[in-house]
Amino acid sequence: MLCRNPSDYVRETKKDIVPVQRNYDPDLHPFEVAREYTRAMNAVKMERIFARPFICSLDGHRDSVQCLTKHSTELSLLLSGSCDGEIKLWNVAQRTCQATIPAHDGFVRGICVIPDGTAFYSIGNDKLIKRWSMDNYDAPAMTIVGKHVFTSIDHHYKNSQYVTSGENVSLWDEQRAQPLQSFKWGADSHAKIKFNPIETTVLASCAADRSIILYDTRQSVPLRKITLQMNSSSLAWNPLEAFVFTTANEDFNLYSFDIRFLQRPFNIHKDHVAAVIDVDYSPTGKEFVSGSYDKTVRIFAADKGHSRDIYHTKRMQHISCVQWTADNKYVISGSDEMCLRLWKAKASEKLGVIRDREAETLEYNDALKEKFAHFPKIKRIARQRNLPKHVYHAKREHKTIQESQKRHEANARANSKPGSVPFVSERSKVILKEEE
Amino acid sequence: MTTRRTKKLLYVKERKAKFAARQTTRAEILHVEEEGYITSDKVDEEEQRTVDLTQTDIKSSVDIFSAQKRFDLELPLYGPYKIDYTRNGRHLLLGGRKGHVAAFDWQTKKLHCEMNVMEQVNDVKWLHIETMYAVAQRQWTYIYDNQGVEVHCLKVLDRSLHLEFLPYHFLLAATNEAGYLSYIDVSIGKKVASYNTRVANGNGKCGTSIMCQNPSNALIGLGHAGGVLTFWSPNQREPLVKMLAHKSTLRSIAIDRTGTYMATSGVDAKLKIWDLRTYKCLHEYRTASNGASSLSFSQKNLLAASYRDVVEIYNDICDNESASNELPRYLLHQCSNGASASSLAFCPYEDVLGVGHERGFVSLLVPGAGEPNFDALEANPYQTKKQRKHAEVKQLLDKIQPDMITLDNSVLSEIDRKGFIRKQEDKRNNFNFVKPKELIIQSDKKKGKIGKRLARKTQIRDTKLKEFLQQQQLKRKKNKN
Repeated sequence: MLCRNPSDYVRETKKDIVPVQRNYDPDLHPFEVAREYTRAMNAVKMERIFARPFICSLDGHRDSVQCLTKHSTELSLLLSGSCDGEIKLWNVAQRTCQATIPAHDGFVRGICVIPDGTAFYSIGNDKLIKRWSMDNYDAPAMTIVGKHVFTSIDHHYKNSQYVTSGENVSLWDEQRAQPLQSFKWGADSHAKIKFNPIETTVLASCAADRSIILYDTRQSVPLRKITLQMNSSSLAWNPLEAFVFTTANEDFNLYSFDIRFLQRPFNIHKDHVAAVIDVDYSPTGKEFVSGSYDKTVRIFAADKGHSRDIYHTKRMQHISCVQWTADNKYVISGSDEMCLRLWKAKASEKLGVIRDREAETLEYNDALKEKFAHFPKIKRIARQRNLPKHVYHAKREHKTIQESQKRHEANARANSKPGSVPFVSERSKVILKEEE
Repeated sequence: MTTRRTKKLLYVKERKAKFAARQTTRAEILHVEEEGYITSDKVDEEEQRTVDLTQTDIKSSVDIFSAQKRFDLELPLYGPYKIDYTRNGRHLLLGGRKGHVAAFDWQTKKLHCEMNVMEQVNDVKWLHIETMYAVAQRQWTYIYDNQGVEVHCLKVLDRSLHLEFLPYHFLLAATNEAGYLSYIDVSIGKKVASYNTRVANGNGKCGTSIMCQNPSNALIGLGHAGGVLTFWSPNQREPLVKMLAHKSTLRSIAIDRTGTYMATSGVDAKLKIWDLRTYKCLHEYRTASNGASSLSFSQKNLLAASYRDVVEIYNDICDNESASNELPRYLLHQCSNGASASSLAFCPYEDVLGVGHERGFVSLLVPGAGEPNFDALEANPYQTKKQRKHAEVKQLLDKIQPDMITLDNSVLSEIDRKGFIRKQEDKRNNFNFVKPKELIIQSDKKKGKIGKRLARKTQIRDTKLKEFLQQQQLKRKKNKN
């Protein structure tokens, strides 16, 4: 005869926890899939309800922000340079400006922090390279006068070398006043230069003749040059995969290349409706953030073709630089209206201390959203974003343009000899030529 | 297109699913309780049959806690009683036909409320929680608090004969004297659907009170006059399944917890066991005349049947391998004073059968009836007040929408092949089209000034032409004459 002892199922004292007996027999749990589907719907709806990515704006600059860099060793330090020659050091955690340095006479074109974090370099429109020490901001520790305007600077991840781009790409040593090496391959000027964080001798630059050039510091000649259809504004190396870099192009797309196979990009990221200005990878290497001329910041997954999320505000004008903070949680964008904005990388993430049970529930919700992601109602809710009007209309227009192009091609194919109009994949159409 | 990456993802998913299945089976070691059973010592040469055991025998041979579960309530004044246990088997609701309604915790015998609603009571049903219950009274259906306070009067469910509560959908289903089956969503208080269940067999009188819910897929089974059994969902006006169960009127239906077996009894003195997946009759037994007036399945698939004042309990009736036509009787009980039993219900998670009869209520001991190990997150007999409140919120969040009630539960977890094929067809059609031919509706053009002038001119010209022709005709006639 079934007889339960109540003391097994009831807590002994008020300080105890209540015992919860479990039986996983499926007979006791009917409607499993339907209940999980309902929970997935609730999870997706709550994600949209709590999606508030904007945290704060850091203002203080007196002209539009031109460049952003995060500090190599300090998590909360951020350096930004503006068009009136000022460099500001921000403490992002406390949302205050730590120091303001009147660095250059014209635009501040680029800032980079040396790997051990004791100093940083800045370049400007006044053809100067200035090295500043982290202790003393009154005067630069070193000033180098260059022959032409520098557009971008980046530091080697291991050695004490740095590289600047301008008319040509020059490799400098920290101690010397003359460049060690100069690379040139046909281009008038280079927009951006970036060192590879893993293969530390490799670097890539975006040139003004619509090309991307790869260099190796151990060689005197550049490695490869690929020419695209339109100019690239910026590029970023994947911090975890040594051979992957992504370029932000002016034909509204971002292209991810594998340096071992430069004939075509292995991924095209489409979603912007104006030229993409800057791109930066997350420290996990799985996602990247891009800021574009269409006043929006988009976050892409590195292997997907469309964006995961879009951030925009009425007050944010054309974005000039983006950074993903080193703790993978925040994204910072600097824009034309002299403001830096701090956003959450995951829009519905809860900041602050999360208890164990809460973390478990959030993980369960994520798993449910993934499991039921293909159901039409859930997909529709998960994808829903409020787009600014200009982006919405521009996207519709682009869609009609693309559809008509496809239709013309289909017609041409239908009305000509079979095989005369071959199917060409879009990724193959990107690169015009590759040179060695 | 299976790439190496998708293959790896699928492999990882499968491995996780297998691991989960293995872990749940290994968790069975944590089950504390065991099922009840009756062992008979071999007395004389024959084996003692369990049928010969009376309730007093059982009561005297179990421990004192279990012996307390065997009790009789003598309520001779207020008519045959309908009973209902809550989902966790802790609270009991009694409704006498002459209006007596009482709710109490039957294990501690603590009375929640007792009142007379001064009207005929057709049925009583607990809602999702032990603080609310519905009483189908003569005119309308009322919802009461467990203190006996009337909370709602559901005028939508008027003259209800039988109530069923679908716990995962929060739907209260009721059959009408006029033959309507109505569903109400109890959480928001809205009527979901109401269908006329009159089965076209030429029967003038409608409104059956033979009703049972299928706990595994939330369909409502109704028994009709000609022996027809229909299954209904709130999404369709027509019944999902219509089957001829008996050759004459059905008296009772019962469906087991997993939704695989159904027991029906009819006026033709037959008790049939059906397989609900294939709708085939598995066994057919002959019973006492007039058939079982009520049937009930326990959690461990024991079947209780009442014939006037006798209650019989059968075990292994569904998987009965033997070819004999004898009902596999397990236990027997005769209600005192010949009071005919009106309502049977097994208490969930307990080895107890509750019988409501003409003169009150009796609680019988049936070893092996209840599920020994409950899941506290589904139904907890030892729920504290705080747990009950939290559980109610969780239940409401997990409430399944009524349009997900289907015949086959596994549809949601399968791949939608037809939809996929349809999408591919649409895509292919879209890419090969030449130009979308729009339907241009010829709209009646509004005439401008010039158009109107032109129309007037033509009209004048036509009339002049007509006159001229008529004159010519007259002239010709004149000339002829």
